[in-house]
Amino acid sequence: MTAQATAMEALQKELDRLNRTPGLSATIDKVDKIIEMLTSVKDQIVQSGMDTHVASMSITRTQNPIKSTFEKINDDLKGVTATQRKLGKMLDKHFPLKDLPSEHDAMADQEPLINRAISMHLLREGQFSVASTFIEETGDAATLDNVNAVIEGQDQANASDNYDDEPMDEDRDDDDDDEDEYMSPLEGVASLGFRQLQNLSSLQSHELEAKFSQMYTILQDIKSRNLLSAIEWARSNSVELEARGSNLEFELSRLQYVWLFKGPSVNGLPDNELNGTAGALLYAQQNFWRFGNRYIGEIQQLANAQIYARNLSESPYRHIFSTETAFADVASSFTREFCSLLGLSAESPLYIAVTAGALALPLLIKYQQATRAKGTEWTTTNELAFETPLPERMLYHSIFVCPVSKEQTTEQNPPMMIPCGHVLAKETLQRLLKGTRFKCPYCPAEGLEKDARRIMI
Amino acid sequence: MADHEASKINHDNHLLLDQPLLRLPYELLRKNFRSAHFTVEKESTTLNKLLKETAKRSLDSKTSPEDVVKNLDAMIAKMRGMKRKLSTYADEETRLYKQLDARVAHLRELSDMHSVEDVKYEAWSRKRLDRLLVDYMLRHGYNTSAQALANERQMHDLVDVETFLTMSKIRESLENGSVAEALAWCNDNKKELRKLQSSLEFLLRCQQYIELLRINTISKSVEAIAHAKKYIAPFQEQYPDEVREMAALLAHRPTDKDLPPKYAAWYSPDRWSKLASTFVEAHNKLLGLPTFPLLHTALSSGLSALKTPACHGTQKTTSSSQPGHSQTSMTSSVCPICSIELNELAKNVPYAHHSKSHLDNDLLLLPNGRVYGQAKLDEYAAKAGLAEGQVKDLVTGEVYSRAALKKVFA
Repeated sequence: MTAQATAMEALQKELDRLNRTPGLSATIDKVDKIIEMLTSVKDQIVQSGMDTHVASMSITRTQNPIKSTFEKINDDLKGVTATQRKLGKMLDKHFPLKDLPSEHDAMADQEPLINRAISMHLLREGQFSVASTFIEETGDAATLDNVNAVIEGQDQANASDNYDDEPMDEDRDDDDDDEDEYMSPLEGVASLGFRQLQNLSSLQSHELEAKFSQMYTILQDIKSRNLLSAIEWARSNSVELEARGSNLEFELSRLQYVWLFKGPSVNGLPDNELNGTAGALLYAQQNFWRFGNRYIGEIQQLANAQIYARNLSESPYRHIFSTETAFADVASSFTREFCSLLGLSAESPLYIAVTAGALALPLLIKYQQATRAKGTEWTTTNELAFETPLPERMLYHSIFVCPVSKEQTTEQNPPMMIPCGHVLAKETLQRLLKGTRFKCPYCPAEGLEKDARRIMI
Repeated sequence: MADHEASKINHDNHLLLDQPLLRLPYELLRKNFRSAHFTVEKESTTLNKLLKETAKRSLDSKTSPEDVVKNLDAMIAKMRGMKRKLSTYADEETRLYKQLDARVAHLRELSDMHSVEDVKYEAWSRKRLDRLLVDYMLRHGYNTSAQALANERQMHDLVDVETFLTMSKIRESLENGSVAEALAWCNDNKKELRKLQSSLEFLLRCQQYIELLRINTISKSVEAIAHAKKYIAPFQEQYPDEVREMAALLAHRPTDKDLPPKYAAWYSPDRWSKLASTFVEAHNKLLGLPTFPLLHTALSSGLSALKTPACHGTQKTTSSSQPGHSQTSMTSSVCPICSIELNELAKNVPYAHHSKSHLDNDLLLLPNGRVYGQAKLDEYAAKAGLAEGQVKDLVTGEVYSRAALKKVFA
């Protein structure tokens, strides 16, 4: 058991003890008793016909019981205080308060942008009603103006893109900033999704909501083993999907074939000519022509499986027909493709960022404590001064660190490949230059400055 | 890649964002209990005294049985009143115990996980995100949204809706020019505020004084002077400059021409929003709540850890989703910093520091200057149904012959 688990268990025990200690509800019971005693004294006096002797005797006699009841209450409460203190000590011991960075809040003035990120997160999580409440409450005007401003800004940046299809001229001066800015004909198609999104935002995000709600309907269908709505969506977006090199439409159609093939006893669909092996064959005849020769091998396998229909589990094709994870797999491909066509990542960026934040926070705090101890000030630079390792799947870009200067390459200091195939940061290369020549730090090769070429990793 | 190390959950430090989760209900429990205890002590002393006196006077025949009964009625009423108060405290106690139980259970779930790759971790981390979102919403006064989200996720015991609603009410009353609610709160937390050396009460008293002067009639000025004697003068030692300025305000009315800025500032309507933020600051400090939303802390550290120089660059890379940018399904996931949800927000944070390259294996250079791992090029070529010996650029879609590729040693 980890130290954490032990601590949590100890805490739970203390809490259970606190729950068992007679607390305020026990006190209330005792107060009820006091009320009862007082009422009974009153009744005695009234019943005696307001007798002076009865009055003085009964009220005198009740003094001590009431006093001792109060004392009991006090003892109970003192017991609770002691138990609570123990819980407090337990918290201090196992969960000592650690300071969070508090001097500088980089997010302080970013409320509109954070609100927008939250709105989109809620929409993509399918929390439509919470999302609309939030958009309304944050003042949709402000949030959406902001969305539009951001998008317009990106539009302008886009407009300045060089649409020239001509490949990069290798001999061009490296300082020319536009050199990487070319766009393939495909990009126009792929950007459609994003353009759509821009317009959606201006319609008070209702259409974005509609999109996500469509996504959830389709996912729900896939979950209940109905692929038709997903296939329909893939078909109507087949151009964009193909441009992305996505196999989604085929994957879905193939799974549909497999699902029909298994017949009514497995898929629960009506037992007719549209189901079973015959139904699958019919489905293939009606639909697979769309894929041309692209998946000819896979389609042949699917057709051949008809021969083994009686004993599929022994056939060479059994792996194709295992549907254990197939529906979950197509559901996740579908989500990825659907979001990508909207220009969005498949997983919520807010979720990833906050999870990464929790992982990196201890290092940030450690660094801040160290700099504070040294008396050096926290300066905002372009790059963090310390490493924040994240799990592999949270690294989205390739990172090239120059093996000589140990610096990450950037647009200002890009990676350069020298003729022997080794890669160095541009600044490193310039430092190595003797005139127009340099020697590779890794192999005996020598090269000329003009033969080094900027690469994009 | 030391990925295993990076995926490990460091239990000592993984709950930094969750510190208030147990601290707050604990503090509230203590405070609630102290108030209840105080009530019991006060009422029991009064009752014992009254009982003793009545008994004595009755024995000495100084009180008639009718008066004894009358006193008994008063005592019963007192006890019923105390019972009512205690019931409120007991309900609060039950609620806080329930919260503590739920929160300890929630944190205990994590102690069984050792890696962020654990499937259960994702569910836990999503719950944490929901908690941070509710906290953010409550701190910004988006109370309806906060409650809607808490309802939807059925996590009332994990978030502090009640605490922040109370805070919201007082903050709003200040923003609307009323000090009464905030003063009542100061009164409830007198001791703690004194310990924190908070200037809140003093500033609220000053504001009351300023409002009397603002009306600018003789009777109100007299009232203002009386108020100052009673409530402002006692702060003389703590805030000598401000007390002096308050006195001088008598001679500087809001309608004066050429009112020196020092005095104009006191009369400014901005004072109310300043009071509101002074209150929020004192409130959060008193309950051990972080000064700014935990979501901010998580985001500034997370955005930096994820950010790379490429995220705001002009170049197109395989993981960005810049408009007009074709990414293929090979680039399995769009980078969260490049995604439009966070891109702008991440502009002002530094990018992560890496001391080691993170690259695919067997890099190949395409004639257009772009470099990809061989496996990715192979897979994309297969998916795109290219002829043998051809590859396709994952970003630009250009098709090249394999013979034109060069090995890269990076």
